[in-house]
Amino acid sequence: MNKIKLSILILILGLGIVFTSCDKNFDELNTNKTAINSLDPVPMLNHAIWKSSPAFYRHTMVYEMAIVQQIISPFGTSLAGGNYNQENFDLAQNTWRNIYPNILKNTMDVIVKNKDNADRSNIFNMARIISALGGMVLTDTYGDVPFSEAGLGFINGKYTPVYDTQEAIYRSILNDLDAATTALNSTARIETGDILYAGDINKWKRFGNSLILRAAMRLSKVNPVLAKEYVKKAVAAGVMTSNDDNAIVRHSANFPNDVGANLNGSEAANFFMAKPLVDFLKSSNDPRLAVLAVRFVGATSGSTQTDANVTRIPSNQIGIPVGYDNNSISARAVADGVGSFYGYTQFDRKTIGKQDSPFFLVTFTQTQFLLAEAVQRGWIDGDASVYYAKGIRGHMEQLAIHDINLNISANNIDIFLQAHPLETAKALEQINTQYWVACIMDGQEAFANFRRSGYPALAQNMYPQRAIADGFIRRMTYDRSEFTNNLTNINNAITRQGPDKLDTRVWWDVK
Amino acid sequence: MNKLLRKYGTQPIFYQFFRKMKLTILIVTVSILSCLSAETYSQTTKLTITENNSTLLNVLRAIESQSEFKFFYNEKVDVNKQVSVEVNQKSITEILDKVLSSTSIKYKVLGRQIALYDKNEMEPFISEQQGRKVTGKVTDSSGASLPGVSVVVKGTSTGVITDNSGNFTLTNIPENGKTITFSFIGMKPVTTDINGRDQINVVLETEIMGVDEVVVTALGIKKETKKIGYAAAIVKAEEMTVNRTTNFMQSLQGKVAGVNITSMATGAGGSTNINVRGQSSFSGSNQPLIVVDGIPISNSKDYGGTQGPNNSDAGDGLLSINPDIIESMTVLKGGAAAALYGSRAKDGVIMITTKNHKQNKGVEVTFNSNATFDRAIDDTNFQYEYGQGEKGVRPTKPFPDSGVWSFGEKIQPGMTQMLFNGEVVPYVAQKNHIKDFYNGGFTFTNTLSVASQGDKGGFNLSLAQLKNDGIMPHSGFDRYNASFGFTQDITSKLKVSGNLNYSREIHTNPPQIASQDMTSTKSIYTMSNTMPLSLMEKYQRDVNGNEIIWSRFKNRTNPYISANDAFNNIDKDRFYGNITARYNFTDLIYAQVRVGQDYYARHQDLNFPSKMAGQAPAPQGFVNGSVTQDQRRFREINSDFLIGAEKEFNNKIGINLTFGGNTMYQYSDQNSTLGQDFIVPWLYAINNARLKTPIYNYSERQVNSLYGTADFSYSNYLFINGTLRNDWFSTLSPATRSVIYPSVSGSFVFSQAFENMPAWLNFGKLRAGYSEVGSDTDIAPFSQTLTYGLNSNLFNGQPVGTINTGTIPNSGLRPMRVKEYEFGFNMKVFNRINLDLTYYHKLSIDQILNAAVSNASGYSSQLINVGESENKGLEMLLDLSAIKSHSFSWNIIFNGAYNTSKVLKLGLDDKAVSIGGTIRQVVGQPLGQIYTSGYLRDDQGRKIFNATNGLPLTTSQDIRMGCALPKWFGGVTNILRYKGISMSALVDFKLGNQIVSSAEFDFMRHGKSKATLIGREDGFVIGDGVKPDGTPNTTKVDLQTYYEATARINENNVYNAGFWKLRQLTIGYDLIRIKKVAELLKLQECNLNAVANNVLTIKRWTNNTDPEQVYQVDGTQDIALPLVRSYGFNLKIKF
Repeated sequence: MNKIKLSILILILGLGIVFTSCDKNFDELNTNKTAINSLDPVPMLNHAIWKSSPAFYRHTMVYEMAIVQQIISPFGTSLAGGNYNQENFDLAQNTWRNIYPNILKNTMDVIVKNKDNADRSNIFNMARIISALGGMVLTDTYGDVPFSEAGLGFINGKYTPVYDTQEAIYRSILNDLDAATTALNSTARIETGDILYAGDINKWKRFGNSLILRAAMRLSKVNPVLAKEYVKKAVAAGVMTSNDDNAIVRHSANFPNDVGANLNGSEAANFFMAKPLVDFLKSSNDPRLAVLAVRFVGATSGSTQTDANVTRIPSNQIGIPVGYDNNSISARAVADGVGSFYGYTQFDRKTIGKQDSPFFLVTFTQTQFLLAEAVQRGWIDGDASVYYAKGIRGHMEQLAIHDINLNISANNIDIFLQAHPLETAKALEQINTQYWVACIMDGQEAFANFRRSGYPALAQNMYPQRAIADGFIRRMTYDRSEFTNNLTNINNAITRQGPDKLDTRVWWDVK
Repeated sequence: MNKLLRKYGTQPIFYQFFRKMKLTILIVTVSILSCLSAETYSQTTKLTITENNSTLLNVLRAIESQSEFKFFYNEKVDVNKQVSVEVNQKSITEILDKVLSSTSIKYKVLGRQIALYDKNEMEPFISEQQGRKVTGKVTDSSGASLPGVSVVVKGTSTGVITDNSGNFTLTNIPENGKTITFSFIGMKPVTTDINGRDQINVVLETEIMGVDEVVVTALGIKKETKKIGYAAAIVKAEEMTVNRTTNFMQSLQGKVAGVNITSMATGAGGSTNINVRGQSSFSGSNQPLIVVDGIPISNSKDYGGTQGPNNSDAGDGLLSINPDIIESMTVLKGGAAAALYGSRAKDGVIMITTKNHKQNKGVEVTFNSNATFDRAIDDTNFQYEYGQGEKGVRPTKPFPDSGVWSFGEKIQPGMTQMLFNGEVVPYVAQKNHIKDFYNGGFTFTNTLSVASQGDKGGFNLSLAQLKNDGIMPHSGFDRYNASFGFTQDITSKLKVSGNLNYSREIHTNPPQIASQDMTSTKSIYTMSNTMPLSLMEKYQRDVNGNEIIWSRFKNRTNPYISANDAFNNIDKDRFYGNITARYNFTDLIYAQVRVGQDYYARHQDLNFPSKMAGQAPAPQGFVNGSVTQDQRRFREINSDFLIGAEKEFNNKIGINLTFGGNTMYQYSDQNSTLGQDFIVPWLYAINNARLKTPIYNYSERQVNSLYGTADFSYSNYLFINGTLRNDWFSTLSPATRSVIYPSVSGSFVFSQAFENMPAWLNFGKLRAGYSEVGSDTDIAPFSQTLTYGLNSNLFNGQPVGTINTGTIPNSGLRPMRVKEYEFGFNMKVFNRINLDLTYYHKLSIDQILNAAVSNASGYSSQLINVGESENKGLEMLLDLSAIKSHSFSWNIIFNGAYNTSKVLKLGLDDKAVSIGGTIRQVVGQPLGQIYTSGYLRDDQGRKIFNATNGLPLTTSQDIRMGCALPKWFGGVTNILRYKGISMSALVDFKLGNQIVSSAEFDFMRHGKSKATLIGREDGFVIGDGVKPDGTPNTTKVDLQTYYEATARINENNVYNAGFWKLRQLTIGYDLIRIKKVAELLKLQECNLNAVANNVLTIKRWTNNTDPEQVYQVDGTQDIALPLVRSYGFNLKIKF
């Protein structure tokens, strides 16, 4: 029995020793020594800026560019969208699933952490501008969306953020942009690591003010008083003055433009320049057609789209008509004289559609057109035709920033401008149709301005399987997972705004 | 009279059986005394027997039924021999003389016991010498005396048989006689040292066939099955070593009750999914813990996980194990069994014990060789009436892009088509794409083992090699194993044992699965039905090396490029083993220390070939494509100690206490570099790449544990076991990291508790258990804090970074907890039927859900303790000896499990009713509900079609299509033995689950499925249903448009995934029976088996695929490799 007693003693001693050290060093063990536990706000803002370039090609190509009839694919299934006026939930939610986690999550982190840091006031205000841009794209795309409580999942546990009305979002954006732009301070620390302007405060200010102008003009129909107030503010504070001020996400081989990557990859042969765009450029002898468009004469499949049969001559360009699928287009292609639909005109995938094509968030050109319209509406002083001409010239010059091969000579620009002056009687149509051209490759802005202004005067897509009541698609449907994860709030939004359909109009989109 | 004898006396068949099986000592010696008293009985008893054309056995039975005589004989005595006897009032000797006159059998009457023996054997020896003397009495556990017990001095020929009162007197014990063995049929033999005693009383306990099996339970503690209060399945080594699979677990599919094994259709080196008692949590691992020789080893799946394109399955931890080293395997199914493993045991434990010595003294050499051939099974049932093309037109112009469409013209003799390479070929059906593309596979396994056992220890050394050529061209798997197990008594009290295992695994191009690019099945299965494979092989790339486009789906890689140009080489060295030292302070108290490690280093190279059609070109001056170099290391160290003590009081109450502790430390890391775009074409090297993306990850966790068990037994029929374990988790915050789990279980052997149980009841037991276990496996290390990540590359010279998680960290997480109770019942009757039933109820609470949150929060999910679900079910095992005779036997073993589950709670608040997409967890429904788009139907169930375009309308929300998890699964094994020939056939089944197949979606939209034949003649379809206004649908829709649209309604692609299969067929012959060969080669064992695996699908409900043709078990099917049928040979020789 002595041995038993001894064993019990050993056991108890052992127990005691082990108990005291049962979680020794666990806190240290559970700390990742290679992880970054806090990060400077500049790389985070850079991430948000980079992702402000539409990161999901299929969404922007399949829906936005197709709705405004710039790019059309005749194919269905995963490429069905604006071309068929059809629901394609997977793609419709792409903007949602890009902006919240990639942009607002990061900007909110920067904003919250640097709010009271006087030294980093500039990065704080820059983040507010990028945040506003993201919020604007979101609400323009879907209507009422979570914004005031968005991106705060970690910071304050907002897992089911409320949906703000679009009106509230716009008021908030305008207010925030105004405050942020004003607060940018060239005497505070300059954030030279920023990938947009390398910390140039004056450019940031002009970018912010141009964004105010864009946001304000969006309200031209629904609340002209508020629109005018902020247009004047923006102009007074100073908007973009040249293409040097453009807000550009400079894609590279390492950070490719997704639209470009796919126009050169698996979908290279499947997207075509739409007939309304080709016809418009062609009818006005627009020099941009010659640099943007290519056609593979006689191509019958992707394999036969080769350098050998390429033509860039504007008069040879034939845009793909809207409202056909890959079966019904066959007969039309024969009638159009292109043989197979693979012979319709495409955006040049080696220049404008290249993989490292830059994306323009806000441009001098767009700003000029908005100013022209503001003058036309009598909200600001100035000469609308001057702004209009500056806008067109700006865009023609801007193309060379895309790719040097898109250079249009000053002479050709002059010839075009002389031939196409602004006509007072149809100024709004001219201005906004040129805005449409200036938004080539920026589907989301082209789509928004088309809805607001009603220009260009496009014919309805009458594809037989259309899933919309009439007219055009006017918004994207919400992220489907919201019906599971944020049901009460999304239902409130739908009750307010109308059914979650493609043809429901957002607040500022009044008839 | 003694209880046992009385019992057997009325049921001679069992008595006879027991003797035959258990009587090993025939040569007995009898004391003169007992002989004398017996002489009278044998002379005075007169019997009348009439048995014409009967067997000797029947005669013996007749004698036994009329008298107190009992016969003993061994297998040399053929009791089935035909005899005839007709005697009236004759003595036993007269009868036996007559009956046995025509046989070689002789007899000896020893009192009331009569020994039968072959005349070629030595005659039973009757000792008449006097010498040292020991007397005593033998009783059974109830105290009744046992006559007829053989009492033999071990190592000598001295022995007696107990008399009617159970008394014996051993005289004439030689000098070297130190131990006495007591044996009696139906009782467990007892061996005891004489130790100078001259009086030895012994109690023999009833031994029931199979009842006293010993199982290895948690922590490696061995227990008799009757003592455990929970279900444990024992798997015999032959189940895995005869009819083999590369991953040995796959060969157990359908064999173990309640263990749902699914083999992945991902190649021979692929992984296996194991579920015990359903899926206990919504997410994370639901796989049982694998314990080898008491030490857990990693069984994580090696699927993908690198940078770059990789959707291949490089197996799991079990793939490393060579089944030849397995001594035994136990599956601890429930929490009560596994509770001692604490947090990792919520899904049960698979306990593997490997060999570390020979069973008896000496040296033996075993050689096992196995060769199997694999053929791809073509499960498709495509249409071959209409060939390649679209809109009813076959390709006639160069470079058609319809390579995956079979909506062409009706195939007529003499037609031609112009294909992707511009070549004109006959327009004829190509029905053998699968057969022609996939190779015949071959697997060759050899194991050589040397084992020894001496007085103080033994060892087992095994060397094995496995070589597999896969059915996918240029793919294969090689494995080399070296295992060394030993056991050694250092002193009489200190014993050291250990197992050291090394494996080297080489995967060559494990096939890509479930992606578009480089996935052979995707291309082969969707390729148009008139595309000649020879063209695909001939025209892979053009003169510039660019892939020739054969379909407008450019990612549908030419399958020959997938096979020839893509490489993926994985090379893994693994070392695992343990060393145990056990010190027995006394017979009753021991202490044990054990250290084990599982370590592997893994290297992988893989590429994405250059110039593929689906990939964007590289920047000027570079060639596209990528290469990945990946290194991973894994280490898990388990150190534990165990102190145990047992004590028995009054031969009635037994107590067994153990106390132990464990430290589990796990570390893994990964270096991976992705290189994209090359300077020198076709050189897949990192240093040749334009863009290099290195990553480094590591993970570290530790769990410290203390545990104890207490076993109580009462009078050998009542057993209670309790366990308590406390875990401390490094992955949790200080407030939640200490968790205690209890379990209690009991077993009541009613067949031994009461007197007067019916004789046919051999064994009966009731058991019950309750346990709580938990799991932190869903909580990744370091997941309590928010961290940031930087992009590997600078954006135009500037860093880019972001919060690198979509999951909101939660520092308040607790381990999930599984509360389980089970009731079981085991009965053995008539010595032919063994029935085991278990009911369990498993409640999983506090499940750590990666609960989806609104994406607008910036995150997609948050880890929270909210989920609740339950599983309940029934496991049954029925082992039936249908026929059991000397030369022929037929055994039927049925095992089955029924499991049903229910989701009880989800989400952040009570409002959340479902999570997931296609596969959902829905409150109130079983786990794993399939939700898909469906046809919109009216009140009468008619499909509604769009009024203008005639296409079917879909439901606005996805609808429930059934459950992804099987309700029923199990198998039936029939084993037939005739002399040396054995045959076994396993039929297994899974029933009650559905699958949604994206393969069928492709087959329909590409015009390959037979369903698309409807309307071909006309070129249009009018959907069968109504318009929204209720009038009949009359709108004609272009055929191809119709099927492309309907294919997208996934309701079409949901199938019953159940099956019945003839899984295994084994026919073997015991070559040792060819005596000349056996003697010449001095063989101890020699078995040759013909084996076949996946022999036949008896029933399935899918159209063009096998329901098991999957790479994951979540209820979705993105087509994996075709299944294979294997057949071959297994030869085992033991010297």
